[in-house]
Amino acid sequence: MTGRDMLVVNDLHKIYDDGTHAVKGLSFTLKQGEIYGLIGPNGAGKSTTLRMIATLIKPTRGSIYLNGVDVVKEPLKARKMIGYLPEEAEVYPRLTGREHLLFYARLYGIENIEETVEYGAEISGLGDKLDKKAGEYSKGMKRRLLLALVLMRSPQLAILDEPTSGLDVYASVRVRRIIKEYVSKTGHSVILSSHNMLEVEYLCDRVSFIINGKIITTGSPSELKARYNALNLEEAFVKAVEEHG
Amino acid sequence: MSFTRDLGVLLWKELLDLYRDRRTLFTSILLPLISLPLIGFMGIALVEQQPVLVAVVDLDNTTARNQLLNITVSSRWLAGNTTRILEKFGYNVTISHSIDIVKNPDIDVALIIPKGFSRNASSLNNTARVKVLRRAGVQAAVRAESTIYSIINVFSRNISDAKLNAVIRLLGLNATIPALRNPVTARTEVVGISGQPVSRAIVLRNAFARILVLAFSFVVTPAASYVIDGIIGERERKTIELLLASPTTPQRIIYAKLVAATLLGLITALADIIGLVVYMVSVSIVSGVPFGVIIDPLLLILHSITAFFTILSTISIALPFITRTRGIRSASNIVSLVTIVALVFFFTGFFVDYIRLPSEILIPLYLIPFTHSILVIQGYVLGYVSRALIHLAVLSIASIALLIIASKTINTEKLLIAPL
Repeated sequence: MTGRDMLVVNDLHKIYDDGTHAVKGLSFTLKQGEIYGLIGPNGAGKSTTLRMIATLIKPTRGSIYLNGVDVVKEPLKARKMIGYLPEEAEVYPRLTGREHLLFYARLYGIENIEETVEYGAEISGLGDKLDKKAGEYSKGMKRRLLLALVLMRSPQLAILDEPTSGLDVYASVRVRRIIKEYVSKTGHSVILSSHNMLEVEYLCDRVSFIINGKIITTGSPSELKARYNALNLEEAFVKAVEEHG
Repeated sequence: MSFTRDLGVLLWKELLDLYRDRRTLFTSILLPLISLPLIGFMGIALVEQQPVLVAVVDLDNTTARNQLLNITVSSRWLAGNTTRILEKFGYNVTISHSIDIVKNPDIDVALIIPKGFSRNASSLNNTARVKVLRRAGVQAAVRAESTIYSIINVFSRNISDAKLNAVIRLLGLNATIPALRNPVTARTEVVGISGQPVSRAIVLRNAFARILVLAFSFVVTPAASYVIDGIIGERERKTIELLLASPTTPQRIIYAKLVAATLLGLITALADIIGLVVYMVSVSIVSGVPFGVIIDPLLLILHSITAFFTILSTISIALPFITRTRGIRSASNIVSLVTIVALVFFFTGFFVDYIRLPSEILIPLYLIPFTHSILVIQGYVLGYVSRALIHLAVLSIASIALLIIASKTINTEKLLIAPL
């Protein structure tokens, strides 16, 4: 179900002011309608990579093109095509869920605001609780609301950093279902990072293992399992890490 | 998207959040509302409540009569009247004839009337000397000491009048007592810049203006705190990243926060003015000067506009530092440095007429925006209206320029990953 290349990342580097070389020459492409996963240990450079694609951090070197738009040179233009959910995002506790949807719909300059907010409400599945202050929500409800904020305006690329981090099993399942339905309904693309191999196996069409800022291997979950002669993706990841020192 | 539309949407969120943040609103309004009346009323009330123990030690305990002058002086009269007057003012007074009483550590002030007092006071060639002992470090004892000096002065003057009367009578002089006792006198007349005498109401209004300068101190701090919370707090509460990823610029996000902070500052300024008005109403009642004469509506409007730009320049100076700090604590420490500079200016503005400072001092001070805040109020009150308006214009231009310069230093990455 995948199409043309919509995201092209080439020789991406990030060196922070303190000298940390977080990302070392990452290159990959993401096709339309594809869910692509970045897997790696903490500090591997996943979040930095996602933040660079989301235009929040400037690469030290390399390029990122989204539907032909240079993300580094035209960040505001790129942002209109992007929906980004940070790993540790939170809600405004004194605003209701509906006010969150309304605020972000207005901020993105969406014309049919009511329709968008209703779609966001549907994605979140919060029902009547949408009119309660978000500070009263559980962690799972907050994550669903944040995901709705990102997806309600149907961005061509959704960047999801650890979308189910810290959630219980039921909340995680609901979030995964939302992501899967989003891609199948809209035909848009998702790039995500995760520590949860089951999640990655369930969601992703293609996966890259990333260690110390470098991609060590890429493939579909079944290809990676076959490549490393592993029963599951977790085992494939451990073997890949061992193989690459 | 257009600047105004973006700003409108961001401001809607900021103000909705602020409106529901009752604790911030409550403290921002309550603090200035009660500060000045509280300082005034509490100061007076607590000073009145301080117990001060006074000892009147009459070691002389005699009455002496000067036959030639036909006058009688009694140490008992002085001790008795001093006691009565001090008690009337609320002091606890003990009369004694022994010096040992001053060894009592509870005694704050002692009036010692020495032996030979009545004889010396009634004589033509001696001076009677009393001694006042005041306990070091007891602030309220200063007031009791001052009251005792007033009583002694009146007592001395009465004896002097009696003596001079007797001398005039004995020598058959064509003289008056004031001419003999005070051959030279001085009188002060308070005048305005036109040289015309000004009323007591104008003097009170000027005093009110000095308090208005001091009142700027109460508005810059809550506004600066709000900006810190709006930027660093949003990062710590993990809400800023989603916002920064939206198709608006970090400058617009910050502008919205600054506008919200300035509005909060104006609410604070309004509460501050209400507090001041309450204070001045009490001054008006005590002084008997009509309230409407003391309070100048134009001065209040000028104060509000000046407060707005003072807040804006304060937070603009602090902004580049706020955006580069990791936590609320370090941001607060840095902002404290800026607000302390502001407080130093506003505190000195309470005592110092900046408008009278020599140009070699004043011109370098023009580089600091707070100088202009002070000069707007002081200039207006002293009658230099055009100068006041020029300083307001300079302040407004400087604050907007500072804001533009500060916004140039902001970028998304720095906001997200603070280097300090």
